[in-house]
Amino acid sequence: MSADAAAPVRDPAWSLSRSAIGLWTTQGVLGTLWFALGTLAVFLVPDDAGGPVPVLRWAAPVVTLLYAVVAIGIRPWVRYRVHRWEVTGEAVYTLTGWLTRTWTLVPISRIQTVDVTRGVLQQLFGLATVAVLTASSQGTVRVLHLEADVAQRVADDLARRAELIRDEAT
Amino acid sequence: MGVDDALVPGERPRRTSPRVVLVHTATFRQARQLVPVLIPVAAVVGLDDGLLTIVVMAVVITVLSAAAASLSWWRFGYADRATAVVVTRGLLARSVRTVPNDRIRGVEVEAPPLHRLLGLVRVRIDAAAGAVATDAEELVVDGVPRAEGDRLRARLLARRPAGPPAPGDDGRPEPEPAEEEIARFDPRWLLYAPLVGSYLVVPVAAVGTLVRLVQELPDAVVPDLAGPEPSARLLVLTLVAAVPLLALAAVVGAAVVNWRYRLVRRGGSLVAVRGLLTRRHTELEVDRVRGGTLSEGLGMRWVRAARVNALVTGLGQANRRGQLLPLGPRTEALRLLGRLVEDPGPLTGHPPAALRRRLFRALAAGLAVTAGGVWAAATLGWWWVPAAGVVLTVLGVPMGIGRYRALGHGAGPRSFSVRSGWVVREQVVLQRRAVVGWEVRQSVLQRRAGLATVVACVGAGSGGYAAVDMAAADVPGFTTAASSGTWAGTLTPG
Repeated sequence: MSADAAAPVRDPAWSLSRSAIGLWTTQGVLGTLWFALGTLAVFLVPDDAGGPVPVLRWAAPVVTLLYAVVAIGIRPWVRYRVHRWEVTGEAVYTLTGWLTRTWTLVPISRIQTVDVTRGVLQQLFGLATVAVLTASSQGTVRVLHLEADVAQRVADDLARRAELIRDEAT
Repeated sequence: MGVDDALVPGERPRRTSPRVVLVHTATFRQARQLVPVLIPVAAVVGLDDGLLTIVVMAVVITVLSAAAASLSWWRFGYADRATAVVVTRGLLARSVRTVPNDRIRGVEVEAPPLHRLLGLVRVRIDAAAGAVATDAEELVVDGVPRAEGDRLRARLLARRPAGPPAPGDDGRPEPEPAEEEIARFDPRWLLYAPLVGSYLVVPVAAVGTLVRLVQELPDAVVPDLAGPEPSARLLVLTLVAAVPLLALAAVVGAAVVNWRYRLVRRGGSLVAVRGLLTRRHTELEVDRVRGGTLSEGLGMRWVRAARVNALVTGLGQANRRGQLLPLGPRTEALRLLGRLVEDPGPLTGHPPAALRRRLFRALAAGLAVTAGGVWAAATLGWWWVPAAGVVLTVLGVPMGIGRYRALGHGAGPRSFSVRSGWVVREQVVLQRRAVVGWEVRQSVLQRRAGLATVVACVGAGSGGYAAVDMAAADVPGFTTAASSGTWAGTLTPG
């Protein structure tokens, strides 16, 4: 990361599973397919249709290409380099995002529920997301794309420790 | 029913007072939904506009209204069990709603004018809104006698020292707790009302409703008024007359809502009473108060007025419920806020880079309009567009500076505070223990400018309060100083 000097807080210690890159790339491919479908639709419109069609004829492929480059070639790698997570003795800590970065820290004593979710794509890559919820609607930590067994272990561990040291939780 | 021990067998559900049927008939409470249906029906049937039509329609609606009110009264039941409140209702689809007592966050007893006439009250019970819940967490028991309303309120909130006969840990049996008056509304504060947006909106909305009502009436009953010819002079006169009228209406509106406002502390509760026509009686638990907000609108800042809301865990964005000072001088507001949560001391301003960001945003719209306007003027000859753009740009300067001046954060020994906003400047003061998490955000541009936005996640109010664009280097210090315990030290670069 180029501008580490300006980072407001320290970064969490652990990086995600490398399979996450594959998952994000797949998501990028799927997104690109949608754009391609849209482009196809523009070319199916008859030639003599007026309005914005001539402009769209060249704009749509360009946009699709740009999206493909960013979503497949750049974004997964940047995300993988940015995303980090850590469970310390007192808190769960994550860093997410690719352009805008978000660090989220929640103390274990204030955890209300711990969820493990596995989306369809995540199952293909053997990944899972751990969501840690608190009393605040904004104080939710999501550790995306961990290996499924790691995710389950982390969730169990957090739930057990939250039970032990939970104070008022609000 | 096998729900749990909340349903003690033999405990019959109670009914509301039958007198409430009268109230609901008169106010067309249930029949109101029928009105949009009835109007086209009347149109299809082809009733002509005439006095007879109106009388017939009035009778039909009243009968329908009475029937609907009786039915919903008949099918409504409530019970305050040992551990939960159960409300049963619904005509065809029965719904049973059970709210455990320890999830109840506040009880409000209100008496609208018709209810008062018949000696009835309406009880609203606020249930805790969790991390995922919406704001629909409210039970309403409409139309119980005043004594029953007070009993319900006392019963639902008086389970502080667990169990009724237990004398509590401190050994004192609980007598009728002493009342301590914290704030009382001074009628002179009503003069602030014309400068507060929400009170100004009320008369405007009232006029709008009236106009719509007149338009919906059949032509026969609307007298054919031949008004004077519209002219520029008339328009100006109307506007000149409207300003004092609007101000007067705002004052009256504020008076109706806040009449004889009192805030008292009774035992472990904060009780607010207010209202001229509808008397409201709101109760909050002191133990659940985590802080408060001080909001000052643009107009209020002129006259140094402010309002105070309490932030209560589990109450969500229930603005009206948490309102502790609806309108008053800033000094009074600060004193009240100081009762809720310790003053964290003066706020630290944000670095000049934050000012540049505010100014850029404030000017961007005006500059864009100007640029577009130059083109419009050159091609279409619309000279007013760039002129408007320039005016917008110039107005953006004080706005950007104002928004920057509002920014601030600070942490004291037991509490912390963040402030932002320009149209409504809001300062949030919270206890350190209220923080359940921190979120630090940094966009690409913020990273360049050495800034970051820090959100304190709180299980009260809107769920998170942000210190926008503070110096990135100050973030670890602030988060550590503003949260209880040592966990926030995780953020400190090591």
